[in-house]
Amino acid sequence: MGAQEPMAITAFSLATCLGAGNAVHAEALRTGRSGLEPCEVYETPFLCYVGAVPGLEDCAPPPALTAWDNRATRLAEAALTADGYLGRVETAVARWGAARIGVVLGTSTSGVEKLEGAYRAREGDGPLPSEYSMRHHNDHHAVASYLMARLGLAGPCWTISTACSSSAKALVDAHQLIEAGLCDAVIAGGVDSLCLTSLAGFEGLQLVSRRPCRPCDLDRDGLSIGEGAALLLIERAVDGPYRLSGAGECSDGFHMSTPPEDGAGAAVAIREALAAAALLPPDIGYVKLHGTATPANDVSECRAVAGVLGMTTPVSSLKGAIGHTLGAAGAVEAAMCLLALEHGIVPGCVGLSQLDPVIACNVPAVARPAALNHVVANAFGFGGNNCALVLSR
Amino acid sequence: MTLRAVINSVSFASPLAADVDALKALLSGGDPASAEADWHPMPACLTAREARRLSPHIRLALSAAEPIAPALPEDAGWVFASSSGEGETLHVILEAIRRPELLIQPIRFQNSVHNAASGQWTIATRRRGPVTSIAAYDDTVGVGLLKALMQVTLEQRAVGLIVFDGALPPPLHEKRPVACSMAMAVALAPAEVATLQDLAVIEGRLGDGSPQLPETACERRFAETGNPVAAAVPLLSAIFGAGGTSGGVEVAPTIRLGVGGARALHVTVEPAA
Repeated sequence: MGAQEPMAITAFSLATCLGAGNAVHAEALRTGRSGLEPCEVYETPFLCYVGAVPGLEDCAPPPALTAWDNRATRLAEAALTADGYLGRVETAVARWGAARIGVVLGTSTSGVEKLEGAYRAREGDGPLPSEYSMRHHNDHHAVASYLMARLGLAGPCWTISTACSSSAKALVDAHQLIEAGLCDAVIAGGVDSLCLTSLAGFEGLQLVSRRPCRPCDLDRDGLSIGEGAALLLIERAVDGPYRLSGAGECSDGFHMSTPPEDGAGAAVAIREALAAAALLPPDIGYVKLHGTATPANDVSECRAVAGVLGMTTPVSSLKGAIGHTLGAAGAVEAAMCLLALEHGIVPGCVGLSQLDPVIACNVPAVARPAALNHVVANAFGFGGNNCALVLSR
Repeated sequence: MTLRAVINSVSFASPLAADVDALKALLSGGDPASAEADWHPMPACLTAREARRLSPHIRLALSAAEPIAPALPEDAGWVFASSSGEGETLHVILEAIRRPELLIQPIRFQNSVHNAASGQWTIATRRRGPVTSIAAYDDTVGVGLLKALMQVTLEQRAVGLIVFDGALPPPLHEKRPVACSMAMAVALAPAEVATLQDLAVIEGRLGDGSPQLPETACERRFAETGNPVAAAVPLLSAIFGAGGTSGGVEVAPTIRLGVGGARALHVTVEPAA
């Protein structure tokens, strides 16, 4: 994608274990606060820390839409109702018309958390409860269809589910919808909730840390699962403070859950994103790593970053603060990058105490102020699916 | 902007019609090929051992992708579209989660994601281009085609589109009944680089109206399976026919596909030049 068609990110909102809304996240970026806590949402037979979003009990869908009530749609509500985001969407609807506004949402697990409960409550091989609706809960498209109904939109709407790169790729599709003239505005973002599938699945892969995750640290031993939602509003032909100025997407063609050691695919994605944005490495003030804190991933990614951008550009992972929000990570962390651009913060790598000497990047442990104009945000997923974004102000 | 591409390869896989030729025969009034239980697609890009480790949904998707791959360059993009994705693997995991030990096999988990088929495709064929995995319930064919047409037009890149869905095991089946597996694939390329091999030219625009309902007996037979891929049958029929006549005048057929909202993707298919 390029920047031929003028468009801007005119509003955004997010909810993570740090809380809901922009102010709490900007503050956490400055202070390095982490929201990871020992898991209390579920009883797990293994120790783990998670990033659980507080206050979801107060985030029920409106009465007319209770058919969609699950943990994922409550996360979406937490983002929708923060920072006047709903009002910004209403303004966009008044300006462009509902038929000219689309939704592209990234999610890995959608509302599977509710289906897990239904399975656990089943008797033997009996049926699911009659009131359980796959269309409103577990179906991959459930949260996107909720947003269409909640916001009264009529444009194109789809779900991207490429595991942990899902919502980064959703931002790319949103831009293409506007660039192709099919929409004047798009709600784009990501939602993923805590669930046993993710916790037990990553535990099965032996990738869950027993402590809060420590990206890039010498002693890192795996990830901490988080949950979150981020929704961006992208509009045509308006002056806005931020824009997605480039993106690069490619595949490793290598392994379902492990990147190649040299990070070749990640490097291609970053290089393509820079080319699409017509920027050079010195233009990039900060790189937001995918940074899952598994031993293999961080080394591979940092090799890619150092190879394309050199070893001086500050880089860090946000997952020590919010955990790995999986399909929501691309959009949640992009939103946090917009806050870094707005407030002039190079975020620190929360959880880092001793940098792994194999990592040849400049990884600050604590945040520092700096004027930023362009940042790179990486998101990689199972299947060897790479997406790099350039976000600019 | 008009979304426009040439189509230079098509494939189809289903127990109702095992390949494109069988689908053409069925569209001309033939009988379905085989029953679901007797049908086991096996893509050649996987060894028998690899194939056994993967779900029937992945094997279905790869069986549809394989025939169109020779028509696509190394740097082609790939759009995999599926409403339910890996329903069978999901069921196995959900059953495991009913037990307090929460033991999930790593290979099950990494192949439970919606993009398991697209990931396995890039791994099996060493493809390094951009790949996405997209869903929109009953509108999955329409959004898959829309994304592929956008990518071809905006990125000036060839794109392989695969749409697939298989039956879900009980108790999920009762909540999303799909009676039979189905997958289709088309190879799309920028209209500017048309070749003699092109089958048809396809154009898409967003318009008013709802998705069209099945019209012919054959379309109804596919639609009755409950498989969302059935929405592609009129499109494939138009590609095979690539044009028709109305009152003695050649007309390009128009197909309306749902794209997740209240509008429809209006697709016209014309013979290649």
